[in-house]
Amino acid sequence: MIYKLLNSIDQARPFERLSAHCDIPCGIYDPIIAQIAALTVVRMIDLMTDLDNKGGEKNKDYINSMSRYVTIKEEHAEKAKAEIRVIWGDFLKAQHLEKYPNTHALVHQIMQLGSKARQTTDREAALQLVEAINQFAEIFWGAKNIPTKRAIAPYAPNLELVYPVL
Amino acid sequence: MLHIFRIHGNSLEPEYQSGDFVMVSKIPFLFHPPKPGEVIGFIHPAFGLLIKQIGSYNPQTQQLTVLGTHPDSVDSREFGEISSQTIIGKVLWHIHPHR
Repeated sequence: MIYKLLNSIDQARPFERLSAHCDIPCGIYDPIIAQIAALTVVRMIDLMTDLDNKGGEKNKDYINSMSRYVTIKEEHAEKAKAEIRVIWGDFLKAQHLEKYPNTHALVHQIMQLGSKARQTTDREAALQLVEAINQFAEIFWGAKNIPTKRAIAPYAPNLELVYPVL
Repeated sequence: MLHIFRIHGNSLEPEYQSGDFVMVSKIPFLFHPPKPGEVIGFIHPAFGLLIKQIGSYNPQTQQLTVLGTHPDSVDSREFGEISSQTIIGKVLWHIHPHR
């Protein structure tokens, strides 16, 4: 009876809604995808440099290989940016940002470096992208109270990556 | 001191269904601190007016975690702790169509 009464009132003049918010967040976040994407950018620049240094005719095989390297570099620079944006926007909360106040500036730096990695073949900029994403990985694992270590990735270009100590 | 809200969403199912009404008040918290298991209404900066169950309360920091009972609930597992300052009140009366 009370429910019916409230329901009638609600039809005429709706009560405020109290949301029992529900969706299906997968909850799976890991900066390693962005880290590997950034490594791939460096690797593609190295392969482009190697191919260029071989000299010889700039024939269709050369153009084909170079095009593939450029395409992969483009895709992975964009993937690195996208992965960082998702973790920054969806996973990190106000209390994490209070604990790591440099996060916004670091994410902005990653976006800029990722764009530079797409636009140029500047290896130094690509190395800076790897390092900036490593620093972001340290923030991410720190937010989860999981310690990290730095180790050389066991594949070319054999650069230092941040890994969680699980 | 007393507010009536209508629930929208499923995160507290099966106890609280979408469309149920709740009467909410801060008065109980004048007499005791928030306790795990109590169902509260509160304001979240991103999600707006929410209803959840208290998971834990830290009297030193006055921060609490809130949980839903549905596995897909968006709660402190997703958005972290909330401040006790954001509490609108405790659910005092749950008005359900089948009761």
